[in-house]
Parts: sequence; C-alpha cells; structure tokens
Amino acid sequence: MAIDRIDPELCNGCGICINSCHMDVIRMDEESKKAVIKYPEDCVCCEYCKLDCPENAIYVSPVRHTPILVTWC
Amino acid sequence: MTLENVVEADVLVIGGGIAGCFAAIKAREQGLDVTIVDKAYAGKSGGTRVAGFGYVVFNPEWGHDLDTWMNAINKKGEYINNREWTEIVLKESWTTYQALDSWGVDFTPESVKSIDPTKALKIYPPFAFVNLGLTRTGPPSRKQAVKSGVKIMDGIMVTDLLKQDEKVVGAIGFSPTSYDSYIFKAKATIVSSGIVNFRSVAEIANLTGDGETMAYRAGAELTSKEFPDEHVMPLVPTGCLCGEAISYANYIDAEGERIDLSHTHETRLALDFAFHAGEGPIFWDLDSATPEVIEKMCERQDHTPWRHEAVRSFDPRNRGKYRIAGGAWAGGQNSHTGGIWPINTKCATTLPGLYAAGETCGTRFLGADHPVPGFGLLGAAVTGSRAGLGAAEYALQAEEPTIDEEELARLKKIMNAPAERKGGFSPRWVTQILRNTMIPYFIIHIKQGERLQAALTIVEFLEDHLVPKLTAKDGHELRLAHETKNMVLHAEMILRASLFRTESRGTHYREDYPRRDDPTWLAWVKLREEQGRMKLFKEPIPKEWWPDLSKPYEERYPLRFPGE
Repeated sequence: MAIDRIDPELCNGCGICINSCHMDVIRMDEESKKAVIKYPEDCVCCEYCKLDCPENAIYVSPVRHTPILVTWC
Repeated sequence: MTLENVVEADVLVIGGGIAGCFAAIKAREQGLDVTIVDKAYAGKSGGTRVAGFGYVVFNPEWGHDLDTWMNAINKKGEYINNREWTEIVLKESWTTYQALDSWGVDFTPESVKSIDPTKALKIYPPFAFVNLGLTRTGPPSRKQAVKSGVKIMDGIMVTDLLKQDEKVVGAIGFSPTSYDSYIFKAKATIVSSGIVNFRSVAEIANLTGDGETMAYRAGAELTSKEFPDEHVMPLVPTGCLCGEAISYANYIDAEGERIDLSHTHETRLALDFAFHAGEGPIFWDLDSATPEVIEKMCERQDHTPWRHEAVRSFDPRNRGKYRIAGGAWAGGQNSHTGGIWPINTKCATTLPGLYAAGETCGTRFLGADHPVPGFGLLGAAVTGSRAGLGAAEYALQAEEPTIDEEELARLKKIMNAPAERKGGFSPRWVTQILRNTMIPYFIIHIKQGERLQAALTIVEFLEDHLVPKLTAKDGHELRLAHETKNMVLHAEMILRASLFRTESRGTHYREDYPRRDDPTWLAWVKLREEQGRMKLFKEPIPKEWWPDLSKPYEERYPLRFPGE
C-alpha cells in the first residue's frame, strides 16, 4: 500500500526523498542515517520520492491508504 | 514544543513556489534581508511542481495584439476580470519569461505556438505560450533565490500571522520534524502558499490554503471563492492524466454517444451534466483521435519525466477509452481568481505589512473562468515580482517590528493546543468527513441553494465542534491538525460565497439561478471576519468594464448554461 519500501541497502542517506515528500511521510533515521517510511497512511502516491531518488531505492504501490475521492466517476 | 527559535528578516515570504521565489528575489534585489519559509521544500512543494504545459507569453513583436487578447479574456472571464490586472499580467509576461529563462528554466522557445481554438477552447482566439522543458520552474527558481542571498527555511509549518497595532509583523510556526517552534519577526510579510484543495490529486495534496486562512484570521479581505477549479481526470491508467484529457477534449457516455461540448459553458460542466443526467460512466475516447493528435500527445509525454510512472508508461499510440472522473482539484478555485484581496497593483492587502502573491493573491485577472492553460505560472510570476517589490518598498520605510507578547502567547497556545489535548478528534478523520461533504459534484460543481445550505450546516458543525478539539500526537499530526482547520475554513468560504452569488457565471453554476444576472452581479464577492463571523459583501465592478448591456444576452454570453 502506498509507499511500500525504501531499500536500506540501496539508500545512500542523501535525504532528497525527504525534501520531495510534500506530505511529510519520510524521515531520516538518525541512527542508521537512512531514509525511513514514518507516516505511510498519509502517502498520496505522487511518486515524487521514487522519481527523485538517485539510487532507485524506493518502491511505491499505486494503492493509497486513503482512496482518492472524486466529484463523480 | 522543545526549542523556541526567533528569526528576523526585513521581508518574510511564506511559501516557496514560483511566486514566493520571484517575490523573494525581487525583495532581495532591493538590498533587503529576505527569508522564505515553506512547510515542505521550497521549489518542490505545492502547485509549482505540477504547473504546466507552458508559460503564456504576450509579445507584440510576435504579432500579438493587446486588444485581441484582452477581449478574449474579458469574454471568457465573463466580464468580471480585473482589467487593470489583466493588462499588467500580459504586459509583464515577457520580462518574467526572460527572468525565468536566465535562471535556467528549460523553456523550448521553438515551441512558441498558438493554441488551436477549435479544440477544447472552442471560440476563443489563440494565445501564445512557450513550452516548459524538463526542469520545470521550481528548482531553478530556488537556485536563483539562494544565489541572490535569500535564506530558505524548509519544513516549517506557519500557523498564524503576528500582528502589532493592526500591522502584520511576521508569523509563528513549528517544525513537524524537530517539534521546535519558530517566531518570525519581519517588517513586511508576503503570503504565497498557493491554492487550496481538499487533498484531491496526489501532487498537490499538501495545498491546504494556509496563507489565505491565516490572512483571514488576521482580518484580511478575501474574494471570489465561489469559482471552482475545472480539471477533469482519467481514472485509468491513473489519476494524473488531467492535462492530456483537457487538451484533447473528446468524451463519450455509457452508451458510446459523444458528449456535445459545443453549447455548454465548458468541458467540465458538460461532463458534470452528462453524469448528473445518469449518462455515466464517462470515457475519454482516444480511439477516434487523429494521428496528429496522437503525435502531439507523444511529444508532450517526452516533456513530463517528473510525472507518475503510470503516466510515463501511458502510450497514446495504443489508443483506447479511459474512464474519466471529475474534481481533480476539488476544493480549489479557478486559477488566479480567488484569494486575498489586493488593494493595489503592488499586491498590498487590507492589512498593512501583508502582501499576497501567486494563487494566494486574488487579482481576478482571469475573471470567472480561465481561457487557456499556462496562465497560472504567469500570474504567479507577475504577482510574485510585484509583491516582492511592494513589500520591499514598505519594509524600507517600516519601523523595527515589535512583538505584542500577549498576542504571541495567544497564538502559541492555539498552535500547540491539538498536541496538548488528551482526547478529541483525529485530523485525518475530520479531513475525510470534510471531503465527503464537499467533494460530490452536486455540492461543489452543480450548486443549488438548499444543498449548499445543507453542506454549510455540516461544515459549521465541523468548525464549531470538531475543529476546536482536534488532536495531534506528534509534530506531523500537528501539521495535519492545522491543515484540517484551514481546509474546513475554506469550505465555509466556498459555500458562503456560492450561496451569496445568486446567479451563474464562468465556473460558478447555480442550478436554481442558471443565468448571468447583469448588472446585479457585475460584481465581486468579498468576505472578511467580523466579530467572529464570516461577513460577505459585494464589490461592484467599474462601469467602464461592463459588457455592452444594449446587446442581447445571447451575444454578451455566447455559451449557455444548462437550464437557461
């Protein structure tokens, strides 16, 4: 669901994904110095983190925790 | 809150999109100390990252005629565009384009072309625009701001403006990450935090109208909240293809009948009505597209590497029929219409010391509807420049700001309250209730007095009972709590303004008042807080901007609303 995984083997701790996430879903783990998923329930599946990650370490599933609500469909 | 930080600046800019960057750079060029604060990351957050097909450029050297452009906007804006602003924005499009180009924004000038008016844009004459290339405008604008000496503070959620003797002297906020609090003292403050939407489309889900609501709470006047945004979006393969669906407007209903777009006011409303009539689901039909249309779409795919993977893997050459949904930016206002009321062309507001830029600034330069894509970025750049210069001029003469300790204590208490509350309501849940109330098409698009009133009853209950008891277990949830509070307040503004304008015009459609009502509603709706209540009033449009009332209605308004 939503952002699934940040591969700790691939993550270089650059923090770009944290800046790319406008929903504040990702945080830096102070101990491991790697990006971690902190609030997956607020992920909106924009995939900015995935697109901006220089190491292709992020996996995002297209299914949101909170479904998109539309005016009609 | 753990640590209290005090940040001083001559000019404080809240929101670091293209408008905020322009404002900061212009103020900095006047030799001032400028700080941008953004709740996410300046240059990446908000509407700037998704903005655009391109940048509208008016240039007489390319044969553009001001009167032709103005007339087209006046007509599409249904005569309630602020013509002073319309002219300013058009005339300053070339200089702002050049500035962006010099900052390294990747334009493709060879792409300058006229938009084909026979497509979605129907009767309107061609405007020219320059395609945006791979980098978008955000990152180069941020880079330029840093280069010119602007300080940038990312990841700080500003909750309220600080006032002293009725002047705005800064703002307060907190970091959702460190949970530190921040007090910003500034001679002048610019809000440029974008539009609002009710967490609809993914890319702009953090736009919760924070700037407009904090200005409202501080006593500023706002305008034009009754004109909703009009994007549609395909549900398959993803929810993010709205640009393509708008540029190639070809839709069929459940029975495969093509939906006639030629008579109604605009695509979005035509689709709303087909759905309302029980003809849904509605599909975007690529099977009948000409090879030229498909080729154009493929070209654009090459320019959108930043988009969702599903969009990048979408191949128009495969054609097909894609199910469409309404309300891509549900809760948002029509571009550059609603926002904080500017009292002059320097983007000053009714509050001394407060300036507004970008979508937060209610210039109304496009009136009741926007004519073509590409005006959003342009309006943001022009109002950003002007707000930056206006705020700098003010700051150069302003006294050193002092902070009213009592007011500061009051706002701090409000800021922290959700985190200190033991029991109450979760912001995520209240946001869901708000979305369920506001987003259905029969509330936000096809409006009617009793339905608006019903939604308002619920929204008022959210405001009176749930919002005062929002809870937050950490800094992240504290941000959600304030965002929820701001979205709920916006919902009230949208509903009240929609009830107030008892006619239909542009993107505002009232089933119970399906005609434009001239000259009664050749006016703007303004609102402000008075004694804790939202007060609405009418601001007449200068008579010289009225359409020719001696002409028949059908000539003034060639497009029909359903039910007229």
